[in-house]
Formats: sequence, structure tokens, C-alpha cells
Amino acid sequence: MLIENIKTAFTQYKDQAEVSGFSALREQAYHEFEKLGLPTTKNEEWKYTNLKVLANTNFESTCLSSGNVKAFLQNALLNKITANKLVFVNGTFNAELSEIIEKDNSIYITNLAKARSLHAEIFNQHFGKYANIENNALNSLNTALLSDGAFVYVPTNKTVEFPIFIVNIADSSDVNVLNQPRNLIIVEKSASVHLIEMYYSLGSNSVFTNVVNEIYANENSHVEHYKIQQQEGESYHNNFTQIFQEANTNVNHVTLTLDGTLVRNNLHFYLNGQNCNSLLYGLYMPHGNCLVDNHTRVDHAQPNCNSNELYKGIMMDKSVAVFNGKIMVHLDAQKTNAYQRNQNILLSDEATVNTKPQLEIFADDVKCTHGATIGQLDEEPMFYLRSRGIPEDVARKMLLNAFADDIAEKIKIPELVKLLEEEIEKKL
Amino acid sequence: MLSIKDLKAEIEGKKILNGLSLEVKAGEVHAIMGPNGAGKSTLSSVLAGRAEYEVTSGSVTYEGKNLLDMSPEDRAREGLFLAFQYPIEIPGVSTTNFLKTAVNEKRKYLGLDPMEATDFLKMMREKMDYVEMDKSLISRSLNEGFSGGEKKRNEVFQMAMLEPKLCIMDETDSGLDIDALRLVSNGVNKLRNKDNAFLVITHYQRLLDYIVPDFVHVLYKGRIVKSGDKELAKELEVKGYDWIKQEVEANS
Ligand SMILES: Nc1ncnc2c1ncn2[C@@H]1O[C@H](COP(=O)(O)OP(=O)(O)O)[C@@H](O)[C@H]1O
Ligand SMILES: [Mg+2]
Repeated sequence: MLIENIKTAFTQYKDQAEVSGFSALREQAYHEFEKLGLPTTKNEEWKYTNLKVLANTNFESTCLSSGNVKAFLQNALLNKITANKLVFVNGTFNAELSEIIEKDNSIYITNLAKARSLHAEIFNQHFGKYANIENNALNSLNTALLSDGAFVYVPTNKTVEFPIFIVNIADSSDVNVLNQPRNLIIVEKSASVHLIEMYYSLGSNSVFTNVVNEIYANENSHVEHYKIQQQEGESYHNNFTQIFQEANTNVNHVTLTLDGTLVRNNLHFYLNGQNCNSLLYGLYMPHGNCLVDNHTRVDHAQPNCNSNELYKGIMMDKSVAVFNGKIMVHLDAQKTNAYQRNQNILLSDEATVNTKPQLEIFADDVKCTHGATIGQLDEEPMFYLRSRGIPEDVARKMLLNAFADDIAEKIKIPELVKLLEEEIEKKL
Repeated sequence: MLSIKDLKAEIEGKKILNGLSLEVKAGEVHAIMGPNGAGKSTLSSVLAGRAEYEVTSGSVTYEGKNLLDMSPEDRAREGLFLAFQYPIEIPGVSTTNFLKTAVNEKRKYLGLDPMEATDFLKMMREKMDYVEMDKSLISRSLNEGFSGGEKKRNEVFQMAMLEPKLCIMDETDSGLDIDALRLVSNGVNKLRNKDNAFLVITHYQRLLDYIVPDFVHVLYKGRIVKSGDKELAKELEVKGYDWIKQEVEANS
């Protein structure tokens, strides 16, 4: 059972000298997790997303790769794009499959375990400072069991020329696997970077991936951050991302949830300076009995910032979607503009969407709007296309692709957009 | 080509077409005029196959087939085309991709292979010239951000691309300035031949100066209450519809 598996894993880790630098933090995190346990549907934040099935499954935390990964990656989309690649298999850094093409030595693109000793000062300044473990069972779990992840440091005024792919492959060929990826991204003043987190699965056993990302954007920096979830089969995925923005920063985030049995994305922005722009885009298209839950939170802590959020869903079969968009406008955050929309197309009578805006506004001079729609494809465009001789099924596909591509096109890497649009088309 | 007999149609229980009959032969141009709310757009919607309208009686035969039994896409692929009064915008669907799909779906239906990409582009360029469509428009999403006049031109451009047999134009002239009107009319005239027919719905005589009709019909309260030649349109331009309304009331 999961809880016991976690205990075993934690005890094993404790004995390893390699991780001793973290023992105090791990210990604290583990006790927090023990205290909280896995969230249940009694918890308002987890009302529609039930993790019970996870609790009743046996997972192994220290797993090796089956050796099929290399062949699997050969055809993956990331091989068609010129980029830096950090590849992790079951939470372990794979140097052979990774490739760093960045030539500037002052930019660090490496794995966390290495960075902890090599770049200790930067690491210690930022690690664990943005993602809270208190009262957050899954963040605690990640911290208690963390093995490795990506470490990216972009110094002041630097631009990383090519995108950075952070690829996580859960290989469940032999056993059910439990992965705890942990990524730390630091973008210094006036620096910029494109990051793409990719999640794949391989094998037919169950996968539970529990991610924590900490992204720090110092003043005047620009961060493009995309998360693409393509784990298939019996895969359970929880992702917590904290993006911390200082003044005059621009962050554009896109989450594409293209597959997975249960996917929970927790995307948190903290706007800690003036004149920040935060863009949050999401697409989900669950089929079968799959569930996708997007919980977002934007904290406007300072005046004169803009946030704009658009999440779209295409719901098939008996799938379930949850959207919960929290916007917190703090007392000092005058002249805030915060917009939020959630649009859903139901392709089946048996699909369900639970959508909830959550606006908490403590400043008085702000513009905040939100809106949600759930419905069928519009009749009018459908009729227009059919009246030109396009059959109903082809017309429906064209319109669904248009609906979904609107989000994919928020990604600023044209060749990646093209490949993703092909993936999207295959799912419809 | 088209034979409408005693057609009655309603929407949400409201009777709109009340026994409309019309015969159209290949090579003919018929103008349909009439006051607002007479049922002109309803007629075009029923012919194109819009599902919200319920046909309660009567028949429509198109090229010997029961038109009312056919899906909207089959009607289109059999050669019927409706230029909409209010063309909608479809964000995310590129004009080029849309037209390529429409052209090739029609070809598939007729048992033909898809067009070669180069032939298709050549045809697009040629047909855009018909209505002097701006080249930049076709790389954009369908009608997205187009001006009213550009949308209407796009309808005629699509018509040229699909080479229909029966063209229904629902107030294609409204919202066009005089230059655009001339362009659109020239485009239509180039498409006219002995094998196709046009149903031109309009409020204004001025369009009929360019697209000269063989017949002019007045639609009022869901029926054709008067038919004549192009002189009738001129008479309506001068006298309005009141005299026709009075005639109808007197006869009923
Ligand atoms: N979708 C609809 N729902 C309800 N009434 C409609 C609808 N479409 C048309 N009508 C009504 O039917 C009548 C005829 O409309 P229409 O065919 O658009 O006239 P025209 O094109 O001649 O101006 C009008 O009274 C109009 O209000
Ligand atoms: Mg009308």
C-alpha cells in the first residue's frame, strides 16, 4: 500500500550517505506528510479528485529503467527540435540520453543532485524557498523522497539560445513506479529562457508521478514555461509549480494535458513586484474515465500587474474535469488587471466538468473578470462548414482542432506547436 | 433544376413560409425581393438545410431529387450554394485549409481524386481575381476580422471555387459600397452559364442593374405574391411595397 511504500522508501533514503545534506529537510517533510496523509475528498481542495485508488496500490520508489527507454525516445517529438535536453528516468538523471548544446558556461543546465554540490550557494539560496510543504501533503511527499530533477540557472542579462526540455519518463515495464521529480529554475535579472517539461510513460504497470517545480524570475526577466503531459495508461500525476515573479517580469505558461488516468496540476503564481505580466493557458482533453484537475492560483501581491488566464477543455466519454481558478488580490495590489476564462466542449453526455472561479479581492481599484462555459460545439460554424460540402464528422474535427490549437499556439516555438497540433489531432 | 411546390415552413411554432412555389431552370437568374421579415432568408435557409426550420408541407425537387431529404453537405456537394446574408467568423480555421477541404470533399463525393496542391493554389489565385480579394485574407482565419464587404466578397470567392449549379445569394449586396458591388456583380456574371442558375435575394434595384435577372418575384408573408421581369424591380424601386401589400390584402 502506498503509505507503507513511502515509509519504506523514506527509511532507505535516510540510510544513504549521499543524501545526508538534506536529512533535516527530509525528516521535517516526511513528518508533515505522515501528519497530513494523502488528501481525501473531504478536503475542499480535493473535493472532486479522489486519490483512494492510489492509496490501495503498491508502488516501488527506487526503480531502474528497463532499457527500453532509448528506443522509446527515438521517436519522441523532442528529438525533432534543436534543444537542450535533461532526461530523467524514474527520477534518475540519465546522462546518456541528455544533451546540453548551450555553449555559455555561465548558464547552468544540469541535474539537481550535481548542482547541490557544484553550485551550493545558489542552490541553498533558492531551494525549497517557493514551494510550501506545510499543510501540503504531496509537496511534503516530494521533498521527503526527492531524488533528482532539473537545475537551471540563467545569470543576469543572459538568454538561453535554445529551449530546455526537462523530460521525465516513468518506466513501469517491471513494477508500479513512484517518481518524485523536483525542478529548480532560477532566472536572474533581465535574463530569459524557454522551458518545456515533458512527461512520458512506458510500460503497462501503474505510475504515480509527483512533481514539484520552483521557478524564480528575477527583475525584468522573461520566462516561457510549458508543461506537456503525455503519460498514458494507468498513470497518476500530480504537479505543483510555484512561479515567483519579481518586478517587471513576463511569464507565459502553457499546460497541455493530453493523456493520463488522473492528472492534477497545481499552478501557483506569486507576483512579488510591480509591472508583472502573467499568462496562464491550459488545454485538457480527457477520454474514457480519465480525470484532469487544474487548480490555479495567482497572488497579486503588488500594484500594477496583469494576469490573464484561459483554460480550455474537450471532454470525451465519461471523463471528468475540474477547474478551480483562484485569484488573490492583496491589499496593496491596486491597479491589478486579472482575467480568467474556462471554456469546455462536451462531446459526450456522460462527461462532467466542475468549474469554479475563486476571486478574493482586498484592494479596491482593480479589474477582475471571470467566466466559464460548458456546452456543445456551436451550431452556426458547424452549419457554415457543412453548407460548403464538408461532412459533419470532418467539420467537427476542424472546429475542435481550432478550439484546441488556440491554446497550443500560445507556445512560442513554432516547430513544437506544429508537432503538438499533430498530437492533438490524433486524440480527437 | 429547382422546383418548389406549396412550401410551408415554421420555426419554434411560428409559421414563416406559407405555401411558396417557384420554378427555376438552368441558365436562369431569378431575383427575389420583398420587405423585411417576408421570409427571404428563411427560404434560403430551408433550401440550404438548416435544421432549426421545420418544413410542414410541400416539396422541393432539385435536379430530380428530393432536396429536403438531403443533409446540408450533400446538398452542397450536389451543387447548391448559399451565400449567407451574415457570414460568420470561424477563428482558428484557415481560409485556405477550409476551402481545400471543401473542394476535395466535393471531389470525393463525385468520385474524383483530390486536387494537386499546385493546381489548387493556381485555382485559388485565379478565383480571387474574380472579386479582387486581397491575397492576405486567405492566410487568415475564416472571416476573422474581415470587414463586412470583405466577408461578402469571400462568399462570392467561395462560390467561384466550388462551381455550384444553383447559387442562392442572400442580400450579398447589402453593406457593399458601389465599387465592391460592381466587383461582386462582375464576379457573379463571370460564373453565369447555361448550366447554372441564380436565386438573387435583394432589396435594391441597383444590384439588378449589374446582375440582370430573367424573372423578378415579390415575396410577402411567406408566399410569392407577384412575379414579373426586370421591369417589376424598377417599379418596386419607385413605388415601394405598399401597393403590393394592399393588393394582397384586397384579394384575401
Ligand atoms: N430563428 C428564428 N427564430 C424565430 N423567428 C425567426 C427566426 N428566423 C426568422 N424568424 C422570423 O421569421 C420571419 C422571416 O424572417 P426572414 O426569413 O429572416 O425574413 P427576410 O429575410 O425576408 O427579412 C421574421 O418575422 C423573423 O423574425
Ligand atoms: Mg434576410
